[in-house]
Amino acid sequence: MPEARLIDGRGMEPPEPLELAVAALGSLAPGEELVMLLNCEPLPLYAILERSGYRYRSERRSDGSNEIHIQKA
Amino acid sequence: MQPTLSFEQAPPISVPFRFFLTAPLFGAAAGLILAWLGPAALESRWAPGALAMTHLIVVDFMLQAMCGSLLQFVAVVAGANIWRPHLVATLVHPLITAGAVFLATAFLLEEQLLFLLAAGAFAAAMGLFLTVMALALLRTPARGMPIHVLRLALLGLLLTVVLGVTLAATLGMQESVQSVWSLLTLINVHVAWGLAGWALMLVIGVSYLVVPMFQLTPAYPPWLTRALPAGLLLVLCLWSLQLLPNLAGAQAWQSGVAVAGVLLAGLYALATLWLQARRRRRQADVTLVFWRGAMLSLLAFAVSWLAFDALPQFGNHARAPLWLGVLALPGVFLSVIIGMLYKIMPFLNWLHLQRQGGTAMPPPNMKQMIPEGAQRGQMRLHFAALALLLAAVLWPALALPAGLAFSASCLWLEWNLVGAARVYTRFRDRIRAAASQAADSARP
Repeated sequence: MPEARLIDGRGMEPPEPLELAVAALGSLAPGEELVMLLNCEPLPLYAILERSGYRYRSERRSDGSNEIHIQKA
Repeated sequence: MQPTLSFEQAPPISVPFRFFLTAPLFGAAAGLILAWLGPAALESRWAPGALAMTHLIVVDFMLQAMCGSLLQFVAVVAGANIWRPHLVATLVHPLITAGAVFLATAFLLEEQLLFLLAAGAFAAAMGLFLTVMALALLRTPARGMPIHVLRLALLGLLLTVVLGVTLAATLGMQESVQSVWSLLTLINVHVAWGLAGWALMLVIGVSYLVVPMFQLTPAYPPWLTRALPAGLLLVLCLWSLQLLPNLAGAQAWQSGVAVAGVLLAGLYALATLWLQARRRRRQADVTLVFWRGAMLSLLAFAVSWLAFDALPQFGNHARAPLWLGVLALPGVFLSVIIGMLYKIMPFLNWLHLQRQGGTAMPPPNMKQMIPEGAQRGQMRLHFAALALLLAAVLWPALALPAGLAFSASCLWLEWNLVGAARVYTRFRDRIRAAASQAADSARP
């Protein structure tokens, strides 16, 4: 199983994490996972993922940040 | 709670862009009026040139930019459905533009008919805009302090417009409402609602979202987020009591109310600067520097007001209100607006292009849409123009260079924003060409 790619956007100025995520989606292999760490719930990213055929799962971490797992649908 | 933004409701890009691309042109016109009229425009706040410049800045620059942003912001932040945003923008944008041109020309030429035309244009434009906004904000399921403050700001805009239209109609008909209120009382209340109830309230509401989110600062303390808008509203209501005839003479009491309002504004500026000093990222981008400049101007405004109150020999000077006006308009509000435009336009470009191109054709990098060097250069010119404008209030002989510098700064801003719009159209055309090429090759 390929290793997950990580974008830690917690110290980045929005919308940089969104930009990086969209750039990474294009090269995401089937079965490969993109993991994002963010301080906010990325509603615009969810909309993009739904439109572009990706599935995602979001978890709230104990420090209040969000962990989002993205894969090709 | 971390605020969130939703982008599915965003109106077409042409809706906000028409407002953004018009706004700086009228700032440039205001600068040229100052350069043309010279020291005469700075004799007092009542000089025709000063009134014309002020209204070009507050209506055609600030109101244009704020209306354009709100059409976007309300849909995105409040998830509110705006009734036919394209139609609203098509009607409101030319009406505001025409209204402000009528008003500025009316002040310069002292022409009654133009005041009436301005009153009619503003009543129609703002009547429509405020109705659409009120409906959207009343129906939205979104909650939270930024939404409440946004509602208060729109109430402030409503009262500013009602008083402004009354004043313009009064000047246009040479009909005096002075049997009920003195013109000065109406102007005092109009200016207070316009600057504090509308513009500052809007900046406060927006900052609750954008300062922590985009500048990576801690959140504003919850008690402060409640106290600032509530305190400001209370001050404005007390200040408006001067419209009651039997309270018209309560000068000393009113002066205390104004000081309370100014202290609240100063507290907000200090809190924002304090948060910005504690941000998680050390690198200061152009938008952050614009916000800092705005907050320092607000602090300088508060200190100047208190000094003028304590030292009447300065406070009673005919040019003292101009000093405050320069700090408030180009200093506070234009700095925030320009800083935000440099973030909003590239982001809207990116968002709309991403929708069109999908993941197959990712949009260009947001940071390259308006070159950083061009933003920084324009910012330096903006603050240099602000310093020159303040110097021209002290030494009116500097009116010509101050006016030209301000005008040049606004034109440079326009150039930068047009550049961003061109990036959008170029990339959109590439997406369309690729789509039609793909359709052609798919044909048997």
